Amino acid sequence: MNAATGITRRAFLTGAAAAAGAGAAGGLAAGCAAEAPTVAPAGGGLRPAPVGGTRPAATPGAKSRVVVIRHDALAADGQGPPPGRVRELLDEAACALAGDARAADAWARWFKPADRVGIKVNCLGYPTRPAVAAAIAAAIAGIGLAPEQVIIWDRTVDELRRAGYEPRASGRGVRCFGTDALAPRGGGYGTEIITSGAIGSLYSRIVTDETTALVSACVLKDHNLAGLTCAMKNFFGAIHNPNKYHDDGCDPFIADVCAGPPVRDRLRLAVCDALRPQYQGGPSHRTQWQWPYGGLLVSADPVALDRVALEVLARKRAAAGLKPLEAEGRPARHLASAEARGLGAADLARIEVIGIGKTWMDVA
Amino acid sequence: MNPRDGKTRREFLRVAGAAACAACAACAPGRRAHAQSQPEGQAGGPRPQVAVHDAMWYDRLPDKAVKCRLCPRECTVADVERGYCGVRENRGGDYKTLVYGALCSLNIDPIEKKPLFHYLPGTTALSVATAGCNMECKFCQNWNVSQYRPEQVDSLLVPPENLVRMAAARRCPSIAYTYTEPVVFAEYVHDTAALGRQQSVGSVMISNGYIREEALRQLCRHLTAVKVDLKAFTEKFYAEQCSGRLAPVLEALEVLKDIGIHTEIVVLIIPTLNDSAGELAAMARWLVARLGPDVPVHFSRFHPIYRVKNLPPTPVEMLDRARKISMDAGLRYVYVGNVPFHAGESTYCPSCGKTVIRRVGYNVDASGLRDGACRACGHKIPGVWSQEQALAFRPREKSAPPSPPPPPARAPAAS
Repeated sequence: MNAATGITRRAFLTGAAAAAGAGAAGGLAAGCAAEAPTVAPAGGGLRPAPVGGTRPAATPGAKSRVVVIRHDALAADGQGPPPGRVRELLDEAACALAGDARAADAWARWFKPADRVGIKVNCLGYPTRPAVAAAIAAAIAGIGLAPEQVIIWDRTVDELRRAGYEPRASGRGVRCFGTDALAPRGGGYGTEIITSGAIGSLYSRIVTDETTALVSACVLKDHNLAGLTCAMKNFFGAIHNPNKYHDDGCDPFIADVCAGPPVRDRLRLAVCDALRPQYQGGPSHRTQWQWPYGGLLVSADPVALDRVALEVLARKRAAAGLKPLEAEGRPARHLASAEARGLGAADLARIEVIGIGKTWMDVA
Repeated sequence: MNPRDGKTRREFLRVAGAAACAACAACAPGRRAHAQSQPEGQAGGPRPQVAVHDAMWYDRLPDKAVKCRLCPRECTVADVERGYCGVRENRGGDYKTLVYGALCSLNIDPIEKKPLFHYLPGTTALSVATAGCNMECKFCQNWNVSQYRPEQVDSLLVPPENLVRMAAARRCPSIAYTYTEPVVFAEYVHDTAALGRQQSVGSVMISNGYIREEALRQLCRHLTAVKVDLKAFTEKFYAEQCSGRLAPVLEALEVLKDIGIHTEIVVLIIPTLNDSAGELAAMARWLVARLGPDVPVHFSRFHPIYRVKNLPPTPVEMLDRARKISMDAGLRYVYVGNVPFHAGESTYCPSCGKTVIRRVGYNVDASGLRDGACRACGHKIPGVWSQEQALAFRPREKSAPPSPPPPPARAPAAS
């Protein structure tokens, strides 16, 4: 009750709504449906999503599936792994994830020829290796998409270039550019704030205007606030104001960014570059805390992928004599928040890990 | 589009460039540094840029981390990351501001637009801003720049010396750091204000007051006036609507009082969120007790924008009520803002009631004021009424903390 006017807030708002007009009211409504999950929890990642982005309803009791494929060739330092070998291993992982014998059949479960696919890489600190992004792009193009329908992207052109990519916004072949390449209008971001849970952000126009499907081509590394940065945190690079969302270990903000319709409705697959993960000192690049794990993690469930990645980091930290992330006051709380939003499975008991090659839990 | 004045980026750059050239053709104030390269095949056009400069207020931490000491957030920032404001970045353990002179807004405004009503009425201020803010007010009128990172907005590099020259050439007695949040570009404010003093140009900071004492005192060595947005008088409002805290703002206001710099306060009244009579009365009592009855206070009208679009513009009666509550509590100079032609725009002598400064929009008639006093009765009106007075301001040294109570008398030792 407003003491001076004698009207309740509800009554005031009722009257105010008419004055403000429907258009104004709509401003806050945008994105408010973020709580409604369209990404099936738990089992949603088990069965590959059909093309078109709508995922099947979760099968009760079904587990999300994460493939971890490891090979010495992936752990090579210097110029990075041989691209052809990365592609072979990635296809093998895709087949295992989808349960298909042919790679093209597996990839066709997540993408269709009419899609425009954005491969979101992470260029901050130690980046997603270009060979990994290129292998994803080639695999997707292999199901009948023109290469020009595939975009490898991050925040800025300069960041991509520094990470070893060759930015190219047009011409033949896979395109590669930053959100800033869509400037000057809005710096490459949308113009309407999208509210999702606790966040209110403009999403990259690469997401909203240029793509129908997304791949989180993330890198596995420690994060000084969130515990780890992987498939979900990668999408902080899709909004214009990530700096506003670092409090409280980035929770629930990471989950809310991913639950925002632009990401939630497009994200089909997560592929994690765990070639040389970093288990301490992130997100900046600290070679003394990297090790040659030589792995790729692949899943249609970004939460499950992050949970498995977290387990890899935790085991490595323990082996190195470091405190658990919880003891350092930076547990990866955003996993539980993501699960609560229906984005996937955060409990290892509800995740099926398919290991190919060296066992995924061996962090020596 | 410039959110403040409706200019397109092209118009902004043209005006800014012309103003800069007029001020100092040889200094190339419109120079674009750190221009980012474009991908092959990308359409041309100016690109966003940043202006990197050492930050002034931070501590180094282990593992190349830093702790920002500029604002009450005191962000701990890892290497390659940025603080909450989005304009300060850790680069290998060195903290940098990315907006030193990177102006995204550059206009000549009436000083009344800030609003400053007791500071050089009828004059103009060269008004500038960079991207970024250390709060996120859901009702921000300038969110298109305040909530952006520097590389996401068009900007023009204007070094301090060029901005001061520009102000002098345009006969602006003041430079106003405004629109977004000057705290986040405090290094530029500091250096420009210091230089301005040397060339008889004052500097006014239009701020949310979310700044730590050390930085505020350093800035006030060179500033000539400050306006603080007191957004509400509850921690709840600051937490839910601004992602900030009230207590540090109140502390900053008391620091300003201690320094002795001319200060005015604006309160944006938002229907149902910060307009209760009890809250307004408590705020007024605090202002009277801590800052004195002469501090000018402006109650401004809210318009729906950004993330608060479900509320209507503030009814004028609400502003009238806020003004009355505050004056009943003892404040002497209380104004109504964003309501043209309202009688509450003008200054009245608290002694005889005559109009001292009549305002209609940005038109000002100060004929009722003579030598800083009411022409009718001679009552002294607090404020800064001449450029000489503005430039003569020197901050008071920090007051000694209250003396501790004397120790209790000891009982004589037994012999």
